[in-house]
Amino acid sequence: MPSQPAALAARLPLTGTAPPPREAMAVATLSVLAVLAPLVLGVLSLAPNRLLSPRAAAMPQTAGVIICLGLFLGFCLGTALLARRAAWLGWAELAAALALCALLAGIGVAAGEVLRDASPAARATPAAGFWMAMLLLALAAGCCAAGRGGTPRNFMVAVVLGFGLLWAAGLLGNLSVAREASARGAEIRAAAIQHLGLSGSALLLALAVSLPLSLLALRHRKLEAALMGVANGFQVVPSIALFGLLMGPLGALVSWAPGLRDWGVGGIGPAPAVLGIAVYLLLPLCSAFLAGLRVVPPALIDAARGQGLTEAGILRRLRIPLGLGVMLGGLRVAAVQAIGLATLAALIGGGGLGTLVFQGIGQLATDLILLGVLPMVALSLLADGGCAALQAALERGP
Amino acid sequence: MIRFEGVSRRYGEQAAVDRVTLEVPRGSICVLLGESGSGKSTLMRMVNRLVEPSAGRVLVDGRDVAGADPEELRRGIGYVIQSVGLFPHWRVADNIATVPRLLGWEPARIAARVETLLELVGLEATLFRDRFPHELSGGQAQRVGLARALAADPPLLLMDEPFSALDPGTRRGLQVALREIHAETGKTILFVTHDVEEALALADRLAVLDQGQLVAQGRPAALLEGAAQGPVRRIFGEESLAFHRLATLPARSLARVGDADGLPMLPADATLKQALMLMLSENSARLALPAEAGFGGGTLHWTDLVTAR
Repeated sequence: MPSQPAALAARLPLTGTAPPPREAMAVATLSVLAVLAPLVLGVLSLAPNRLLSPRAAAMPQTAGVIICLGLFLGFCLGTALLARRAAWLGWAELAAALALCALLAGIGVAAGEVLRDASPAARATPAAGFWMAMLLLALAAGCCAAGRGGTPRNFMVAVVLGFGLLWAAGLLGNLSVAREASARGAEIRAAAIQHLGLSGSALLLALAVSLPLSLLALRHRKLEAALMGVANGFQVVPSIALFGLLMGPLGALVSWAPGLRDWGVGGIGPAPAVLGIAVYLLLPLCSAFLAGLRVVPPALIDAARGQGLTEAGILRRLRIPLGLGVMLGGLRVAAVQAIGLATLAALIGGGGLGTLVFQGIGQLATDLILLGVLPMVALSLLADGGCAALQAALERGP
Repeated sequence: MIRFEGVSRRYGEQAAVDRVTLEVPRGSICVLLGESGSGKSTLMRMVNRLVEPSAGRVLVDGRDVAGADPEELRRGIGYVIQSVGLFPHWRVADNIATVPRLLGWEPARIAARVETLLELVGLEATLFRDRFPHELSGGQAQRVGLARALAADPPLLLMDEPFSALDPGTRRGLQVALREIHAETGKTILFVTHDVEEALALADRLAVLDQGQLVAQGRPAALLEGAAQGPVRRIFGEESLAFHRLATLPARSLARVGDADGLPMLPADATLKQALMLMLSENSARLALPAEAGFGGGTLHWTDLVTAR
């Protein structure tokens, strides 16, 4: 049967005419939509000042803008074409990132042209077409990553680097967000540091509580049930309600022992925020610690005990090294969750990047919201990436 | 070497081990035989205090183990279990070195000891020393488990169904290896199994447990002499009792003086069971036995075999 080897060869990749990966069609569709979105929705909008609603503006036809838009078109096309080979999916991801950068650069250059003739209070900002293209290109990159069986790391790194380079080159300086940022630079830095402080201390507090409790719960079934019950219970309470609930007892505590006020304890402010966030971190931390400590099968514990290892020795030589991956996974979830939850601290006077977000919501100023959200996303990605790198390093080690 | 004095272990109303008194002589392989749930593992685990008796006491070398520090006691007793329990993140050499490290031996002494032990259990040291447990076959892993138990040269080994998870060929190979290691080192071995053939292949002394009670003990041949009764009969299997009895007797015990020319040859230390199997496979009613120190050689006859008591 001569047809059989031929059919087999057709199914095997890397035999000359490899079929395109399953994701090729999806990536192509998403890339085409990413090109169409700016045409239909517009990419640049202009507002008379920072509080009035922006209106769509036409892109000026200067050489810089046309080059950038041409690059955008080219990279979108490149994404679609590169995704037709499984081995090139990584490059397709990179092309998607470059397309996004080219579009942003075009908007930045265009903003400079448009604002030259406008009043100093006027603001230029990316319009819906840009955000839509960003979403579509991110999805295309996600498809490519799925085809490679990985995370869209190439896309993320390239976008972060590209945006950073555009910023450093001064191409984005005329965009509304950048103007708002340069006006509030010190405020943003302070808020970011506060945000890190809030989430960091909440994480440390939660660690200090959940580590010893998990170790105890390993031995005592009843304590485990109680611990997981409490941790689960808190997860159900809405976070704002929990912050509210904490106000009463903490306020009472301070009026009973006024000396505590010097330490920052009080019904409102950072103390209840840290406490509230920490409470939400108990569940991911405790469940990961307990699961990690139980990675070692009972028979192995029996063998270790039978050889004369002490309980502390079993913990140090078996439970911790073998469960570290699982435990770090929990830490990763908790760190990201802490950074997200710290946003709400602003509601009870705890400060942090949430302050900018809620101020922006109050003033209907999108740029201000973005200035709160963007550093937060960066912090989350950093925390997540750091934990992931640590996890990978440990798994590669002995 | 080990004395169980009226030991019991109760879980609520249930007695897992019920008033067992048993002596394990120094240098012997004593097999605890019983069905699952008979309390044989529980009884064995009292020796290194992984289980504490509810009543009675366990003496090792004349000293009550209840008075010993559990960790120190366990470091002086080899322990091998069915699932092997090698530490997956440690190399073979590190696994074997577990107890010597706990005892604070010099690194050079540990390295030399690991080498010796790997050779003793039949594994090429240079080939296996640096492997991880997941790179070993089941039989190799259990050989490493045995080496680990022997690492600090303990006088006593506890083995809890160590070969039960292995395929029959590997299991027989390890049984032979264990007998050889026992002959070489003279350790006292307490061996738990539910496998009658394994028990008969290894045991100097046999103790049969049923529902927590010791129902029979002694030399395997004595235990199966005549018509065994009650639980012993059930555990050994009614229909194969006579066959198992043959496994407890040496072939030379029925040897006749005679012309052995051209007959199939038995190994010198064969049992009557092996003789029967050879007769069936060679279609021969007579076999030759080789001469050995204190034994002039001879022949074995089918009629003697089937009328043996």
